[in-house]
Amino acid sequence: MAFRVLIVDDSPVMRAFIRRIIVLSGIEGAEFLEAADGREALNLLRSQWVDVVLTDINMPLMDGEQLVRCLEADDVLKSVPVVVVSTDGTESRMHQMLSLGARGYVKKPFMPETLRQELERVLGGAYAR
Amino acid sequence: MPDNEWDEMLAAAAAEVLETMFFTGVYGPAQAGAYPAEPYVSARVGFEGTPSGTLTLSVSETAAGTLAANFLAPEDDGPLPAAQLGGVVCELANMICGTLLSHVKAEEQFRLCSPELLLERAACAPPPNQSLSLGDGPEDGTIDFWLDLEHHAN
Repeated sequence: MAFRVLIVDDSPVMRAFIRRIIVLSGIEGAEFLEAADGREALNLLRSQWVDVVLTDINMPLMDGEQLVRCLEADDVLKSVPVVVVSTDGTESRMHQMLSLGARGYVKKPFMPETLRQELERVLGGAYAR
Repeated sequence: MPDNEWDEMLAAAAAEVLETMFFTGVYGPAQAGAYPAEPYVSARVGFEGTPSGTLTLSVSETAAGTLAANFLAPEDDGPLPAAQLGGVVCELANMICGTLLSHVKAEEQFRLCSPELLLERAACAPPPNQSLSLGDGPEDGTIDFWLDLEHHAN
């Protein structure tokens, strides 16, 4: 079953790395969309269906925290699960993002298996179809 | 926290990031003064919190090429564009700094600035806090680290 992942990160090399790791981890059927910041991500999400968003926190124009707030405030887009992928591994930041509405949190550096497990957990039945 | 503890945590953070995200082991500290005459790719990332400061990395071109190839696994064998090398070194700096700060004080919320690519080797300066070798000798590539803390009370 194909599913669509939106990778939001201002670093092109990190977006490329995440794409590669998802493929390497053995998840099949992933299609990728990319955005360099939260605003770009919102524009994409308003025009195309996405099954899961993987977002960094620290980005220009609109950061990951603002993106999660915007999605949660949108009646349609709040159903799209968001997993934060960040270098900030402090407990307070994780709790903050999860309480805002993020469904998962992966701290960089991460093993490919960690990202796979988080995607499987968040996508649940949709991925298993 | 004493400086030597910072240095130990920096080395541990670097090893964790290199092994997990760059599939590269650290062979140990680089020999001082044994640097090959090659260009370096340097990046700096600032952070705000308690303490605030900057982490600067200078990565030898050999090491940068190895790290970028491991990180991106390009389909072509040729050298990667300078922009990609720079991007990878910036990400390396970002992740090492984030990992270091996560280990320093888990209850603190730091704010990391975006990493910036530097135009020259950061080195004009004092000796680095850490110098790591990615192989048996400096010809395999080295990474130098400078950690500058602004509000550091021992």
